[in-house]
Amino acid sequence: MSRLFPPLILFMLIILQGINFLFIPDSFEASGFIVTIHGVFVFLIMIGLYYDEETSYYSFLYAILSGLVLDIVYSQIIGVYMFSYAVVIYVIHHLRKVLHVNFYVSSFVFFLAIILVDGMIYWLYQLIGITGLSIQDYLEQRLLMTLAMNYLVFLIQFMLFKRLLARYSFERFEQK
Amino acid sequence: MSFFRRKRLFTILISLIILVGLIGYSLSNREELSSVEEFIQDTVGSFQNVLLRPVYYVRDVIGNIDEMKQVYEENQQLKENLSTYQQKLYEVQELTKENEELKAVLDKTETMTDYRPIQATVIARSPEQWFNQVTLNKGKQHGVEKDMAVITASGMIGKIQSSAQFTSTVLLLNGFDRSNRISVNVDLPETETDAKGFILGYDDTREQLLLEFTDSYEDIPLDTTVFSSGLGGVFPKGLEIGSIEEVTTDQYGLTQIAYVKPSADIEELNHVIVVDRLLTSIDEVEESGDE
Repeated sequence: MSRLFPPLILFMLIILQGINFLFIPDSFEASGFIVTIHGVFVFLIMIGLYYDEETSYYSFLYAILSGLVLDIVYSQIIGVYMFSYAVVIYVIHHLRKVLHVNFYVSSFVFFLAIILVDGMIYWLYQLIGITGLSIQDYLEQRLLMTLAMNYLVFLIQFMLFKRLLARYSFERFEQK
Repeated sequence: MSFFRRKRLFTILISLIILVGLIGYSLSNREELSSVEEFIQDTVGSFQNVLLRPVYYVRDVIGNIDEMKQVYEENQQLKENLSTYQQKLYEVQELTKENEELKAVLDKTETMTDYRPIQATVIARSPEQWFNQVTLNKGKQHGVEKDMAVITASGMIGKIQSSAQFTSTVLLLNGFDRSNRISVNVDLPETETDAKGFILGYDDTREQLLLEFTDSYEDIPLDTTVFSSGLGGVFPKGLEIGSIEEVTTDQYGLTQIAYVKPSADIEELNHVIVVDRLLTSIDEVEESGDE
């Protein structure tokens, strides 16, 4: 179970990405906000913070795999999510070595990671020509609301999975 | 240490090359998905098909409760409408019979209006709103192919962008651009002929489709319905697309354009119909000729 838990939850979250639009209130869209819920990525941050050891790179591996699946299933432009997820999770993995993880620190790491990953996805999509949104519109219409919505997701996942992840991490790496 | 640094630089370079390669590969104009993509899409799709059922069920129940409040008033109105429809129904039946007889005389069996409907359900929507895509639970095994039109009861909503074995992806009308034009007819009340034109794309700020007429027509009334003409070679004739909201000229003042409001609600999708045109298109005729 300690090995299976992270990939199982990840797969569930990938499936749930398909109905994210149900959780975004209609009023957001009416007032011109574009919100993307990065449920999978939030869980990847959790894995990076609470499951991985300093020498293990599970979060990085899962970031590449789930990014690839998300790309194939939901956008059909392969590489954008995969690359952004992998790079940001790699950065977090290195940040973790210098940080003492508690709730406030992980909130800080979370905000940093979401800004990085969402900015990177926006930058790549703009480069390819998927979106023509200017950087100012992006900051106003998308980034702030995306941060707020994803912080809610983070709080929920924090309450649900933090202890489990820490326990499975202990079983997996220490108990030998 | 210097070796390690070099290795890191090397890794970054390699991953950038892979990224550019992958994006380039997926942006290239490909006809079919690769089998790996098909497999992953089908696997996720089939899980979605099963696991998300309860979620959609709950949503439908809540929607139904909302609707029940207005049921009585609607019922009264519908009863009034019904009596006029009886008359129309008789006319339509007569016309259909006559049409069939005439076709039999002409020995013409296939028309551009004929299509085979494939019922499908929306199982997921792309979380990124820049991609106006939804996933359906029917794929190649059920006869869904690339470029088929997708409609609901109230009108057209998009076309199949790619199909895997058991699932397929729909590009919604609000994601259309110049590379997926639709040839359309506008029914002019005064004259015998229809106005002809193309749907060029979607105007994001107005949330309406952009229609360009091939000719210049005088007084096109507002609220006229726009139908697909079947001349594009992909969609059947007579699919309702939307109604005209505004007629104007383009920025150079040379061509006549109109803004068309889609008649189907693209935001609220549940059950859709994939339209398989029975009359073979030119491409298909050429393909079978090559073999």
